[in-house]
Amino acid sequence: MKKSFLVIILLFSITQCFSQTDNITITFNPTLNNKQLVLDTAIYSIDENLTTITNFKFYVSNIELYWDEKLQYQESNSYHLVDINSPSSLNIILNDSKNIKFNIIRFNLGIDSITNVSGAMGGDLDPTNGMYWTWQSGYINFKLEGTNTACPTRKNKFTFHLGGYSSTDNSLQKIWLKTPNTNEIKIKINLDEFFNTIDLKQINSIMIPGKEAVKMSKIVSTLFSINE
Amino acid sequence: MNKINLKILIPVALLLIISAFKLTESSLFYVPKNWPEPAYDFSKNKLSAEKIELGRLLFYDPILSRDSTISCSSCHSQYTAFTHVDHDLSHGIDGKIGTRNSPVIANLAWSKLLMWDGAVNHADVQALAPISNPDEMDETIQHVIEKIQRTGIYSNKFSSAFGDSKVTGERVLKALSQFMMTIVSSNSKYDKVMRNEEGFEFTEQEQRGLVLFRKKCESCHREPLFTTHEFANNGLSVDTTLNDFGRMKVTQNPEDSLKFKIPTLRNIEFSYPYMHDGRFQKLSEVLKHYSHGIQTSPTLAPELKNGIPLTSEERIDIIAFLLTLTDKDFLFNPNYSYKKAE
Ligand code: HEC
Ligand code: HEC
Repeated sequence: MKKSFLVIILLFSITQCFSQTDNITITFNPTLNNKQLVLDTAIYSIDENLTTITNFKFYVSNIELYWDEKLQYQESNSYHLVDINSPSSLNIILNDSKNIKFNIIRFNLGIDSITNVSGAMGGDLDPTNGMYWTWQSGYINFKLEGTNTACPTRKNKFTFHLGGYSSTDNSLQKIWLKTPNTNEIKIKINLDEFFNTIDLKQINSIMIPGKEAVKMSKIVSTLFSINE
Repeated sequence: MNKINLKILIPVALLLIISAFKLTESSLFYVPKNWPEPAYDFSKNKLSAEKIELGRLLFYDPILSRDSTISCSSCHSQYTAFTHVDHDLSHGIDGKIGTRNSPVIANLAWSKLLMWDGAVNHADVQALAPISNPDEMDETIQHVIEKIQRTGIYSNKFSSAFGDSKVTGERVLKALSQFMMTIVSSNSKYDKVMRNEEGFEFTEQEQRGLVLFRKKCESCHREPLFTTHEFANNGLSVDTTLNDFGRMKVTQNPEDSLKFKIPTLRNIEFSYPYMHDGRFQKLSEVLKHYSHGIQTSPTLAPELKNGIPLTSEERIDIIAFLLTLTDKDFLFNPNYSYKKAE
């Protein structure tokens, strides 16, 4: 009896040596001018304009891990509000994700259509988190607000509330990233890319679903990359 | 003897328990005879007497407004079929002000899209629109939640409804939704005649009105809910001070220009003024509009191309029929009336 018990313990510890003992954590790291983003702090962005980000939040949903084409892991009830103002939200711990072999992470930037028409929900999906439009139902997938000296608006303000779930203006973005097989998947969000790509003189405010929001959502989805 | 008694007693007791349970279930919500199944998914927000009660208290509590002066009932008063008589709502983004007439709240469980333009996709999230000012929305709704949490008046209400006293957006919205789902109007004279209830029949005039109604109005105002829940352009001229193009604002599709949600006609006697902007005070004006006031435009409903020519007698007959849609049991139902949280 005792012997077999010992054997089991031995076997168990051996397998543990060969595998990840912790769940996988995803960490989001937003940067401006290659430095970690700090809200409400003016900094020269790469385009040489003085920039302040005052509000930056987005939804990440349906997280999946792949080995090449094969699905290895799917987070259940996978809806996360990432809010730069709330540091703990920058880390997502994937439950039951030990011992998974993967080289691709896939997730949605935003909330899927079905969830958008399913009424009131709680937690990160609670419509009172400031990420839900009130005058026209639907989640805001991505919110970026701040000031930039190149912006020809009052107090140089820019406001992007990107969302829209209907077939014609679905702004949900599917993001695929190649990643090393680590316990901590670090995802960088390069805001300099944003200011390099977008001409704030032309576009500085999007607050409704539509073609513009879809176009902008595609652009912001390219800001995400793996930080190796 | 004892054994036999038990054999009989147990099933009888079980039956009693089951029927008592059914009674409470059906007294919270039931589908009236000959009505379609509701659109609202009750499995995601299971009705309970406690949640309905909480929703009712919130509906009548001005705490939901930023400065605690206006409650839902300010614009949706039971005695006018939950509409508002002379108050317009400022509504819109980028500071644009639109004015719309508050619609009837009744039989919402059968509705999918809410608001005149369908901007709200689910009854649960409806309350967000009036509660918040779009420009400051993140602050305001959260503030309302904090206020409710702080008052303390509600803590045992939330506990009995949800198991603990925590106030969340989801809970507030779902409770409000539950109350609104139970607001059902199905006891008008029309309903009683249709159910062949004893002592109820149409007068000759009402009967003539019903026949005309079924010919001319039924395609949009379909029985028994008196709406297809679709959107249509019924030929109203554009009010150039409002420039409200209805459904197009939501879909951004020009084919939806000037289309508005087809409203129910139940309790129409009390829900004046009429149309999305409250432009008509009387039913006779509405009937004159259909008869010879229709404005043509590319999105006008095809059945209204030539108007609905009606003689003045026919118009009076239709109105007589519409008045049979008044449901006093609904208008004075004590379960829907003002109640204060204490
Ligand atoms: C200031 C007046 C006002 C207040 C306060 C108000 N409403 Fe309304 N309500 C309106 C107007 C106006 C509309 C129609 C708006 C539109 O179509 O754009 C409306 C529409 C609705 C509808 C849609 C009905 C349908 O069939 O489409 C519901 C449900 C509703 N309100 C519930 C509420 C609730 C719940 C509250 C309280 C949280 C509330 N209202 C507070 C004016 C008001
Ligand atoms: C093509 C569809 C259609 C037909 C046919 C139609 N209606 Fe309507 N009706 C509507 C729409 C849409 C509205 C709301 C329009 C708006 O507010 O912009 C409406 C509004 C009304 C209202 C005002 C309701 C309220 O609460 O404000 C009344 C009353 C009414 N109709 C009666 C009738 C009668 C009576 C007939 C037949 C003679 C009729 N309708 C035929 C589509 C239709």
